[in-house]
Amino acid sequence: MTQSKKTSLAAAREIYQDRSSRARELRAQGRQVIGYLCLYPPVEMLTAFGLVPYRLFGDMKEPVTRADTYLPTVVCPFLRSLLDLGLKGKFDFLDGVVMAHTCDVGAQIPGLWNNFVKTPYSYFIDTPHTLHAEARAQEKAELLDFQKSLETLTGKKLAPHKLKEAIEAHNRQRALVRELYDLRKPAPPLITGVEILQTLIAIMSLPVEEGSELLAGVIREVKARSPLPDRKSTRLLVWGPVIHETPLIDMIESLDAYVVMDDTCVGSRAYFTDVKITPDPLDGLADYYLAGIKCPRTFVEKVSGETGKDHASDLETRFSYLSKLAKDWKVDGVILQSVRYCDSHGYEVPAVKEYLSRNGLPGIYLEHDNTRGAMAPLKTRVQGFLEIIGK
Amino acid sequence: MLDGGFGGPFLNAIGMECVYPENYGTVCAAAGKAQPYLERSAAEGFPDHLCGYARNCFGYTASMADVGQIPPDAPSGGMPKPVMLLASGMVCDARFKWFQALGSYLDAPVWTLESPRPGAREGLTEGAYERDVAFLVKGLREFGGFLEKLLGKKIDWAKFEEEVDTTIAMNKLWYNINQLRKARPGPMHSRDFWSSMSGSTLSTMDPKAVTALYLKMYDEVKERVDKGISGIGAPEKYRLTFIGLPPWHSLGFFDKLAERGWNFVIEQTYHPPKPIDLSWVKDPVEKVVRYRFQSLAHQIEDTFSPKEAEEVKQEILKQGYSPRMALREAMEYQCDGAMLHTLLTCRGTTAPLFLSQNQLMDVWNIPSLVIEGDIVDHTLFDPQDALRKAEVFEETMDHYKKVRKEKGLGW
Repeated sequence: MTQSKKTSLAAAREIYQDRSSRARELRAQGRQVIGYLCLYPPVEMLTAFGLVPYRLFGDMKEPVTRADTYLPTVVCPFLRSLLDLGLKGKFDFLDGVVMAHTCDVGAQIPGLWNNFVKTPYSYFIDTPHTLHAEARAQEKAELLDFQKSLETLTGKKLAPHKLKEAIEAHNRQRALVRELYDLRKPAPPLITGVEILQTLIAIMSLPVEEGSELLAGVIREVKARSPLPDRKSTRLLVWGPVIHETPLIDMIESLDAYVVMDDTCVGSRAYFTDVKITPDPLDGLADYYLAGIKCPRTFVEKVSGETGKDHASDLETRFSYLSKLAKDWKVDGVILQSVRYCDSHGYEVPAVKEYLSRNGLPGIYLEHDNTRGAMAPLKTRVQGFLEIIGK
Repeated sequence: MLDGGFGGPFLNAIGMECVYPENYGTVCAAAGKAQPYLERSAAEGFPDHLCGYARNCFGYTASMADVGQIPPDAPSGGMPKPVMLLASGMVCDARFKWFQALGSYLDAPVWTLESPRPGAREGLTEGAYERDVAFLVKGLREFGGFLEKLLGKKIDWAKFEEEVDTTIAMNKLWYNINQLRKARPGPMHSRDFWSSMSGSTLSTMDPKAVTALYLKMYDEVKERVDKGISGIGAPEKYRLTFIGLPPWHSLGFFDKLAERGWNFVIEQTYHPPKPIDLSWVKDPVEKVVRYRFQSLAHQIEDTFSPKEAEEVKQEILKQGYSPRMALREAMEYQCDGAMLHTLLTCRGTTAPLFLSQNQLMDVWNIPSLVIEGDIVDHTLFDPQDALRKAEVFEETMDHYKKVRKEKGLGW
């Protein structure tokens, strides 16, 4: 990838704006590009086979038209948009897709994709939902089946050291993202929420080493920056499912606030835990992809099979990482946001709000339909929230 | 919680009675008493697009927490405070997220049963089915251990085995009753199915009593078949399948359609597994699993000739699906049309509806009528509008009847 005359932030923004350009270029050079949906397909395995992982997103600018025939309007707008793009041939550069059982509608997408989009290769990982001992073994077996499927696709056997190297490469990238996030800790932060999101979307569109190179460049540039003008008083954390374009963050940051931290699946959830290096690399991967990602799609409990129940302790088990993020990034309030019809997050909302409240953190819940037009009405609510925080 | 029948035998064998809050949601909806609970759920901060059964339960449980006992105005005597909550990954993720969220109101521990849902191609991968069976068996044994620890007593395994065998026999009878519905005219309407399926769908404390009921029902339905009596009290003009979950608050809507000769002869949900030979399985836990979680390969082999079965498997391995497997019951029950119920509050059943609609038309030339509504919230369903659409839909069904005949589809 050539970034010679551009700054890294500009390069990231350019990739964000034309996500598939590099993937198309790589494919023209003979690389196979595999799209993956949500956080649960193991990107390390794709990297280990020399495949290019390309995270699948919808497009907030593109009206959903073709997908109306296949998905009712009362399901996740993000997934409807994704399917719509697939039906319109916008993913024609993909050699395959891999999806996992992330949520009810997410689990339906592979069937629709196979029937109507017909990417040459597809695979579905049936990720378990609990952290019971046998679920971990099941996840490992699921990942081994996926590995075998990739061996058939590529005609190559996977050597364990290749997988270990790929895990290390992705862990290095995770460490770089954490380093980038540290640059949001000062007041004012050295980088905006919009810039962070553009950078993360960019690296999810690139092979891991290229993404890490881009990240390192962004970090260098941001460290060398003068501080952002300190004109805003409120530091916010944004929680919820996928935010794959900037309008929401842009809207929030157009007000008297910085988004300094997130708990979303394009943000910290993808990068704040490393895959453990284990003698059998699949053990580390299985543990990470079942227990390491903080998505409400997994049933988390303090101790598997506990016969007593204490609500406060349950909340602490499930959400203590949130208060740590809030403390470390000096957060004043939390915006809980979700695309409409995201049930996994919807069930979580009262509990998260209760937990935040117990920890002295104000929170507001916003729901939207994943279009740019949906942001304007939310602006008034965010303004009101900022006034309530009253900083 | 509806769990596909995996947990029921354990609960019975250890003497624990099971109450189903989704069933209570249907009770509240049918009694027209759900609205205050739905409103309370919204006040508690739960988004209004979440499962109607769950929202009804949140509202009910919050009300119960207020007064420390069953709310005095609760329909049908209410639900008692549970000793534990048995969640499941079956059908939808709401089943465990809902019970997890109840922790705000109840101090009952939650056990979540896993429920593999492999993709069609992945499910045919060598060894995948046996691995899933082992996964389920291990999970159920762990659940048994949890129950023993929770209650401080042992599972009665002799009773467990008897429960499993009696339940399988009961379900076979129920399955056979539903096979009789293939007759013309259809002897049993979906309303009768919905009002009698709970004995099979929800694990019962007394499968023998339900068996006795189903025996009588079998005789009654058989008599109707023999005498050519339709299940709608009127001549059967159109045979339909219902896809999705019914509007429990407005079942009278189907009476209006019956007056027009619409006979719902089969539905997509709540049916028991097809009976299979499990005499070779000695472990009763494994027997439950193999009965409830049948392999796709077996289903294909059971449906098609050996040659065609192999073709179907190859289609699935190659492209991830086989159109020949799509909604076969609509063909087997010779349906003229399908009613699809899109629900604002159920992603699990609503998301695949339009795929079903496409497959019904593409494979079997069966048209569909989509109605919008909800399982619990009656304000989301407009029966008059649905009836108007239904009138027009009759012309569509008439047209496709001719198309199917021209294509030699047989009905």
